[in-house]
Amino acid sequence: MGDRDNPDYKILVVDDEPDLERLVRQRMRRHIRRGKYGFEFAGNGVEALEVLTEKKDIDIVLSDINMPRMDGLTLLQQIPEVNSDLRSVIVSAYGDMENIRTAMNRGAFDFVTKPIDFTDLEVTIERTLRHLDEWRAALASRDKLVAIQNELDVATKIQQSILPDTFPHVDGCEVYGCMHAARNVGGDFFDVINLEAGRIGLAVADVSDKGVPAALFMMSSRTLLKGAAVGVEDPGAVLREVNDLLNETNEAAMFVTVFYGVYDPSTRMLTFSNGGHNPPLVVHPDGSSEELELTGGLALGAIPGFEYGQASVRLNPGDLVVFFTDGVTEAINVSNEEFGLESLQGLFGDGMTPSAREAAEMILQAVQDFAGEAPQFDDLTCMTLRVADE
Amino acid sequence: MNVQVENHDKVLVAKVEGRVDSSNSQDFERQLQGAIGEDVQAVVIDLGQLAYISSAGLRVVLLVAKTLGQRNVSISLCALSDPVQSVFEISGFNRIIQIYDSQADALAAAG
Repeated sequence: MGDRDNPDYKILVVDDEPDLERLVRQRMRRHIRRGKYGFEFAGNGVEALEVLTEKKDIDIVLSDINMPRMDGLTLLQQIPEVNSDLRSVIVSAYGDMENIRTAMNRGAFDFVTKPIDFTDLEVTIERTLRHLDEWRAALASRDKLVAIQNELDVATKIQQSILPDTFPHVDGCEVYGCMHAARNVGGDFFDVINLEAGRIGLAVADVSDKGVPAALFMMSSRTLLKGAAVGVEDPGAVLREVNDLLNETNEAAMFVTVFYGVYDPSTRMLTFSNGGHNPPLVVHPDGSSEELELTGGLALGAIPGFEYGQASVRLNPGDLVVFFTDGVTEAINVSNEEFGLESLQGLFGDGMTPSAREAAEMILQAVQDFAGEAPQFDDLTCMTLRVADE
Repeated sequence: MNVQVENHDKVLVAKVEGRVDSSNSQDFERQLQGAIGEDVQAVVIDLGQLAYISSAGLRVVLLVAKTLGQRNVSISLCALSDPVQSVFEISGFNRIIQIYDSQADALAAAG
């Protein structure tokens, strides 16, 4: 609650009638004494603007229309330049619809008629103040949302920055990867890890659900995976270790599907374990393709102690392995049709030998072209491994 | 997405229709958790009318299965369409949650 020197709300009364000040102070004396309303007075529009310039905390301007030097209708036009956070109430002659309409068009919030009925004026002031409170609360929550949005933008940058943007130059193969998050912070990730003896660890993953909780789960999954990949050789053992660690604290039953493979360029062997992820596609130089087998895995984080199997495939010169998340194959167009695995396979024709980067960018472009204006709810991630031609 | 609930003695059958993805998975979780009463001994989730389930929806199924497991209440799924079956196979969830071809099979097993 306010007090007499520091009232809850300040009202500026603008009128060239000298007696009005005395009348207002007398009729509003209880509110003034209790510190609810404080009043300022000005004799015309020019004086009113001077008061508004000096005192920034006026909540309501209650203004007459006909005044010397500057009338009330002109004042209404000038007020937003000095203070855009207040509301104006106009005092007009009874039945003067033309001026009332002009005043409302110029941004007046409400009006009262002369001679002023103080009971009616109080009701009008209360309604105006209630509106002003709600408006200010709405502005405050908008500001909070903007602040949250700004933080999410930072989170997006952090998340993007932990994804690899330079890829190892290894004789015999090249690797590329990219991700488009559907929301600010995504649940997908991919990683390219340099291992001993020139081998490369390749991971692509998709956290259940989206948004901030998924992003946090994604960050810890990625860190655990990288740690395990460096210390443990077999992909199945890597997934087992990460799964057990993720299960230690996972109240929300979140999980992450992970495909993890180790590629050895010297033997062209890809050894992999699939933790519940959609299988990567191996595309041959003649345009034919097939999915890598599932290895009897399970999404990580679901249950502890799960044993992850693994398998190996020998790639041939010119082969391309496409690792992706289901945001690619399950992208929806405006007719609610899925992009699908067949469309992905259909992108590759006989004799096309795109580089790893060209292939990944071609795929993401094709998905985006397909989706068109349809809103996408899933992250798009695509990573490619291209075995060098002979 | 819609969840309809029938009680067969102490077995609760929840029929899920439509699509479950990240846009409605929270609603899915509320409806499913809300439908499961204290005295239920087994839960059968009939996915016969489910057209699509994303990983966000799988998370809800996993969460419900874990919650029920702690209470020693059995849970099974039945009547999965091919695309939904494939989602459960790829994610590996068919290895940790019992899946039956039909509601009758699921009810007989839950008996």
